[in-house]
Amino acid sequence: MGIRYTIDELIVARAAKEINDNEMVVIGQGIPMAAGVLARATHAPNIVIITEAGIYGMEPFKVPLHIADVSCTRGFTYSCDMVDIFTTVVNRGYVDVTFLGVGQIDRYGNMNSSYIGDPDNFDIRMMGAGGAPEFVGYANRAVLTMRGGEFVEKLDYFTSPGYVEGGNSRYEAGMPEGSGPSVLISTKGVFKFDPDTKEMYLSGLHPGATVEDVKADIPWDLSVADNLETTTLPTEEELDIIRHFAPEISMGRQLQLETIAARLGRLFAKVAAGSKAEK
Amino acid sequence: MAKTGVEKYMAPDKLMTAKEAVGKFIKDGESFVFANCLYSMPLALAHELIRQKKKNLLCFQQGGIEEIDQLIETGTIDRLVLAYNFRAGGKRLVTPMDRAMKEGRVKVEEMTNHTLLSMMKAGAMGYPFIPVMGGIRVTDVVKRNGFLGDQRFAEVEDPFTGNRVLLVKGYNPDVALMHVQRADRAGNGQLWGAMINSKWAALAAKRVILSTEKIVESDVIKSSPHLTIVPAHKVAAVVECPFGAHPSELAGHYDYDMPFRALFVASSQSQKGMKAWLDEWIYEVSDRKEYIDHYIEKFGGDTLETLKAKPFESTPADYGFPFTRIWDENDNSEQLGMSIEEFIDMLDKKGVLIDGD
Repeated sequence: MGIRYTIDELIVARAAKEINDNEMVVIGQGIPMAAGVLARATHAPNIVIITEAGIYGMEPFKVPLHIADVSCTRGFTYSCDMVDIFTTVVNRGYVDVTFLGVGQIDRYGNMNSSYIGDPDNFDIRMMGAGGAPEFVGYANRAVLTMRGGEFVEKLDYFTSPGYVEGGNSRYEAGMPEGSGPSVLISTKGVFKFDPDTKEMYLSGLHPGATVEDVKADIPWDLSVADNLETTTLPTEEELDIIRHFAPEISMGRQLQLETIAARLGRLFAKVAAGSKAEK
Repeated sequence: MAKTGVEKYMAPDKLMTAKEAVGKFIKDGESFVFANCLYSMPLALAHELIRQKKKNLLCFQQGGIEEIDQLIETGTIDRLVLAYNFRAGGKRLVTPMDRAMKEGRVKVEEMTNHTLLSMMKAGAMGYPFIPVMGGIRVTDVVKRNGFLGDQRFAEVEDPFTGNRVLLVKGYNPDVALMHVQRADRAGNGQLWGAMINSKWAALAAKRVILSTEKIVESDVIKSSPHLTIVPAHKVAAVVECPFGAHPSELAGHYDYDMPFRALFVASSQSQKGMKAWLDEWIYEVSDRKEYIDHYIEKFGGDTLETLKAKPFESTPADYGFPFTRIWDENDNSEQLGMSIEEFIDMLDKKGVLIDGD
């Protein structure tokens, strides 16, 4: 039997390859944090991992629940605050790469993490902007991962700037020359952005996926690279690192919710048994 | 000219209960900011706002979790300036805040983390506005105004370069609610871990209601002033409150309580469930001590025990120096080459002493 992996593990392993050694990396929770930890444990031991909560140089031992999770503060080297991160680190141009999970994305890599549907009468409210607009706007590169999101012709709400209207419009709007989303990794393949038009194109497929599968999700006529790469499968070593650091990422969101429900069930069974014993 | 409306709290002992502090220092219709977000959330104080049925408050919050739902559902806040809302159950779960927004019970102003905190930083520094990273001018966060209207962003020309500069307006909320690891009775509050927005939110506010895991002697503060996040003159009230941030986490004390949070998320799915949760954990307990007693009674002391932190101590900073004083223990000075009597005699002989009669 060959290597056996989950789709989330494949995305983590592929995303980790976007980090080079000696880089400064801004990460939130979830898949990106697992990718950062995997990169550091393998090919990029000297990266500095930062969260916007003012935690710099962290050595996470589990996936944080959020950017200020107390577990992030084990082994960090610089305790600053959110103003310091955005101004003295991000705005000054020190961030090589940032990561972002995608809610909605358009052809120029602009993203919505705020509302699905009319914002004044929304279908779904998401987590909001947080640090995403400035991170994606000002980091040299942004690596986007997409698990449950969607490709749209027009965003319901424009939260974070990709290449705005394509061409040079991002830089004309005030963002640093040369910065921008570098890659999008979905459950089916890998997308990059045309160096001139800045429009998204398909650059690679995950094993088993087809161009037709990918195109089915995309409302515009997607360009496809002449030589499509096939995503390299995670190695046993990579899977071992991911599963030890982030079993909840390996299992994906649905199973994660089920394990939380099961944990609650155990707790309540214990509480019920305790009150019975008292009586 | 002295600034008007400056609130300055110089009393050496401000220790009081959460009930007294909230009753005394926040009025209906005022604005407040959470001077912690996600980490070390001042939830005991937030629950006291709800228990006292405060109304029509405006809340500034960087990143909300359950407190936002609780404050909105109870009508405690009707306006919210927010950058991020942690969605514990995933985006498809409908939260009390979602329902309230649809029904018009709360108005929400969307900001980014950086721009919301910059509003606080400008306010804290006493400046009318502050530049922010202008690239976000293309986003709906800047383009779509909420209830603050045009009192958030503006663009001006940089007088030095002629470039466009995006600005946010400075704000001074009436109150900051804050929870820290330790403080003295005067209100010098010390926080460590994720510093996030704490400094700027606390300094922006006109007054701080501070809860602390424990009260320490001022000597502790004086041996570790680098940990002080808010100075006493900003602090109107100090509340000693163990587990004051539960179910959020606090370094050196406790981790976040996932099962408890999941229980809230499950309860908040219906208005009935939400009401039962609010009754059980806010209205039917009189303070945080009763809340924790109820927790232990319901889930067992061992459940609470699993949250408790294992120590990981910071290396103390050595503030030592040679302790060289001008006068030694016998009132002689090596530096001046004389005793204190000889010094006074010298002043007299040189004719610089003025006769007081």
